[in-house]
Amino acid sequence: MKKPLPWWQRPWVRVTAGLLVFIVLGGAVGGIYLSQQPPEQPIQFPHNFHVGSGIPCLYCHPGAQWGPVAGLPTSDKCWGCHQQVAKTNTSPELQKLAAYVKNNESIPWVPVFIQPDHVHFNHRPHVAAGVTCETCHGDMTKMTVAEPIRGQNMGWCLDCHSKQEKEKWTRLSDCATCHY
Amino acid sequence: MAEETNQGVWGLVIDLNLCTGCNACVTACAMENNIPWVGEEDAGYGRSMSWINMQRYWEGEYPEVSPSYQPVMCQQCGRAPCEPVCPVFATVHSESEQINLQVYNRCIGTRYCANNCPYMARKFNWFDYAYNIPEPMNYYLNPSVTVRRRGVMEKCTFCVQRIHDGQENARAQGRAVIDGEIMTACQQACPADAIIFGDMTDPESQVSQALRSQRKYVLLEELGTQPKVTYLKGEGYYGG
Amino acid sequence: MSDSISRRRFLQLTGLGAAAAVMTGCGPASRYVVRRPYTDMPEYARLGESTYYATTCTECPAGCGMIMRTFEGRAIKAEGNPAHPVNSGKLCSRGLTAVQGLYNPDRIKGPARRAKRGEESLAPLSWDEALGEVKTALSAGVKTAFLLGLAPDHLYDLVSELAETAGTAKPVRYGALGMFEARATLVEAARQLFGEARFPFFDVAGADLVISFGANFLETWLSPVAYTRGYSQFRRSFGADKARGYFISFEARRSLTSGVADEWHPVVPGSEGLLALALANLLAERGWNLPVSSVDPAAAAEAAGISLEALTAVADRAAKAARPLFIPGGQALAHSAGLEAARSILALNLPKGTLGQSGGMSLSPAAADAASMKDVQALVDRMNAGQVETLFVHGVNPLFELPAGLNFAGALGKVKRVISFATYPDETALQADLLLPDHSALESWGYQRTLAGTAASAIAARQPVVVPLYDTRSSVDVLLSAGLLPYADEVEFIQSRLLPVLSAGGGNFDAAEIETFWARFLQYGGWWSAQGAQPAAQAAAEAAQPVQPQSLGEGKFRLVVYPTQLGDGSGANRPWLQETPNTSTTVMWNSWVEINPKTAEELGLHNDDVVLIKSDAGEVEASVYLFPAIRPDTLAIPFGQGHTALGRYAEGRGCNPAEVLAPVLNAAGDLALGDTLVSITPTGRRRPLSRYESKVGVYGEH
Repeated sequence: MKKPLPWWQRPWVRVTAGLLVFIVLGGAVGGIYLSQQPPEQPIQFPHNFHVGSGIPCLYCHPGAQWGPVAGLPTSDKCWGCHQQVAKTNTSPELQKLAAYVKNNESIPWVPVFIQPDHVHFNHRPHVAAGVTCETCHGDMTKMTVAEPIRGQNMGWCLDCHSKQEKEKWTRLSDCATCHY
Repeated sequence: MAEETNQGVWGLVIDLNLCTGCNACVTACAMENNIPWVGEEDAGYGRSMSWINMQRYWEGEYPEVSPSYQPVMCQQCGRAPCEPVCPVFATVHSESEQINLQVYNRCIGTRYCANNCPYMARKFNWFDYAYNIPEPMNYYLNPSVTVRRRGVMEKCTFCVQRIHDGQENARAQGRAVIDGEIMTACQQACPADAIIFGDMTDPESQVSQALRSQRKYVLLEELGTQPKVTYLKGEGYYGG
Repeated sequence: MSDSISRRRFLQLTGLGAAAAVMTGCGPASRYVVRRPYTDMPEYARLGESTYYATTCTECPAGCGMIMRTFEGRAIKAEGNPAHPVNSGKLCSRGLTAVQGLYNPDRIKGPARRAKRGEESLAPLSWDEALGEVKTALSAGVKTAFLLGLAPDHLYDLVSELAETAGTAKPVRYGALGMFEARATLVEAARQLFGEARFPFFDVAGADLVISFGANFLETWLSPVAYTRGYSQFRRSFGADKARGYFISFEARRSLTSGVADEWHPVVPGSEGLLALALANLLAERGWNLPVSSVDPAAAAEAAGISLEALTAVADRAAKAARPLFIPGGQALAHSAGLEAARSILALNLPKGTLGQSGGMSLSPAAADAASMKDVQALVDRMNAGQVETLFVHGVNPLFELPAGLNFAGALGKVKRVISFATYPDETALQADLLLPDHSALESWGYQRTLAGTAASAIAARQPVVVPLYDTRSSVDVLLSAGLLPYADEVEFIQSRLLPVLSAGGGNFDAAEIETFWARFLQYGGWWSAQGAQPAAQAAAEAAQPVQPQSLGEGKFRLVVYPTQLGDGSGANRPWLQETPNTSTTVMWNSWVEINPKTAEELGLHNDDVVLIKSDAGEVEASVYLFPAIRPDTLAIPFGQGHTALGRYAEGRGCNPAEVLAPVLNAAGDLALGDTLVSITPTGRRRPLSRYESKVGVYGEH
């Protein structure tokens, strides 16, 4: 007669535990992977077309020149141009825009370049110092919806800060410049 | 570059001649800096999070008994006892603003700094107080200040978000920061104007003028912590 | 085997840790994860930057100007309006926590009908039905009564107009702050002395000596922010030009205000009038033009429990002062002889000839339109007699604020229809049949005439800083919907009330017509002019009749009930007001009984012992706090706690001392709450108070 196994040695316990580990680890890895992917957007906005047709970034994201956030354009601003564009009536993506405008709803964009709560970023000094938009946001002529830059972490920020003039280093490396 | 000249050394002066102990500074600080409340039980355990303590002392015996009130916050020491004990460099000295920083994302909650602080100015998030604020009361949380999680130490920052904001505005307009332009939340609320904040390197600033008063003293001067908060002794019977 | 298990455990734990790290990385706390841009952005808005609106704080009736910082449509931080004549950019704790009222999770979220009074369950109600009910109620003429709070003023004006044109009963306006400060007594005394029923304003900033008779003007009295600003100037010295002001306080307990006084004289509550008469006699001896009464200073000092030397020293100092001020506060006036006391104290301000000048007393320009307890009593009598069919309640919580001895609850039972406009589910709303919630103060239009914080005329503007959060509706609009008044909506009514000011001119801005005036009015946060009404100098009045303080029986104590930062009790649902420690005791989140340590020793009481405080009117229980600066024959209980409703932060904390106040009125119709005598009995239980100054629990000490 076989002695009954202690509960932790029973196969089903071990299989379940193993599966749990896989699910949890898989969730973690998947979560990290997803955070590096462009999120689902309500409208597949073609940045490449708009930038390619010569519209400056600051036309739609004017906040970058005066304040902390670049901002998303209001649907009024989209509509200002698009109501005069013939394609608006034919393209299925632009029909979505037309629907939002018609219902007076705001478009639920998902921000891509989002900083965690403990990081305070301000566009203005960067724009004023002559940093171009594509330095941090990538070449928008090659993207439709905005895509995140891989590994855009604190080291990435400091890498650029350390290349500035020596006398700026005290301020640019100060923790309180971004974290408060 | 012009913008790099003279960041200033921020200093706070509290005139105990004028302080009435009304607690407006305590509340203003809490509302500005996303400081959560902890509830009656935890408050009884001494876990309340307010960055300013209104200290009250009684002197004498009835009927000649008199109180003195003194708001005490982080003294932003020049030689801070909290800094060398942090094993993860979450408590560091800011070279550019000359204040003590608490870097929340580095803090692992050893609480060494709070144990070493002679002013009892550091507060520890024993639980997720701020994240437990029920909807919709979290709407008023200030987006300019990090909402701290459990296990993180925090303290008065001299409203560094307001300092940055003021400096940033001045830079955007291509001018120097004007004295009195940057106000801490406590100073802004104080109905008695007992709190003065400003640049101590500018001899004409209000804070420098207040520092020339003969009534000035700092807390626990003998420890050599070189605080940037200075008190002006009350001229009457009370005030330290 | 155990080795592999531990390894597996380890892996499990690290997996969890990694998942947790990923999840916490995107915790939305103060920022949104989905961004919804404006469809049509207002011109003044700039992305990512705060928008500031000027409005008026209505946490108390003082009418301080407020600048609200808003961000992405949310109200973030209340700041003072630097241009405002009352508060000059400053705010008190109550104003600062106004956003916790706006975003209170326990707000009433829409109109509702209550099947049974006192029960929390509600049936939903549409606004159309609700407005129908209001219309029916308003058509009943004089059988429709209104009980309003001390703020806002525009609603009171509207209801007053309704009373004139539609024949409803004249509104009764009352609140706990008016009760504790005995405001009707103060105004009546001013009327008897100056012929005008207005609040006096004391220019503390310009005085060189302030003698306070139980006025807690640095805490809640009339306009605390304005008085603290004045105090700040009073205390400053500028070389030879201005010496530091000297402050003397007569009060039974050393309150926060008395705490900063240079001299504190713990006098018997109710003896202030006698002291003022004695002081008048002593000052008349020193050459002041004051009517002499029969009061013997030595006897008066003895009755007040202080030494004659102390009183003479005060008189000597007052005689030498250039601009002395004598301030009658609530603790001196809320007695059966309060009106005599108020007159005696106010009369001391006359002989120096500083009326209406810097450092003197003046009358505030706005008419004092608050009722007295007598009017509330009359309303209760009418309710009891079945003469009230519908009672509208707004901005006041009578079941909590009024003394239980008045039996407002019983009278409410005789009213057929109780309609509450409450924003929060307070005790009175719990007994109302219909809940028609008003917007919270930060979502509303309105105006507030500044009460007594300045000698200048000022009307403070209130405007919404955020869109209403819930299905609430402005009470003014609700009342206008009955069609009894010729205004289309609230804004039109307010504008019509501003027309006289527009034509008067001479204010902080000028405007030719109402649209421009309205825009500026909102932009500046109100209208104010430098000119104020000056009181006519009166001939020295006749001395009031001396009244001795009430004698104390065996085992009886006098009781001081004082408002704290919780104000009239409505602040109890603001968690940060609850957790801001009371400065004198450092107690948070609860009520306490202040008792002199010597008395406590005689009674065998210690800190945190629960005691029963009993008067003829009722009883309450609270923990003992040994307070070193209170008369041994006096107990003190703070007001504001003891809620049975009002949401999660307020309910079930501490006690409501209004339950022990005797419903006795003085000559001006105010509650003589200072005459309440109580006994104290230990219950044998202990309930530790959360105090900032000790660490109960951690170190096992108290």
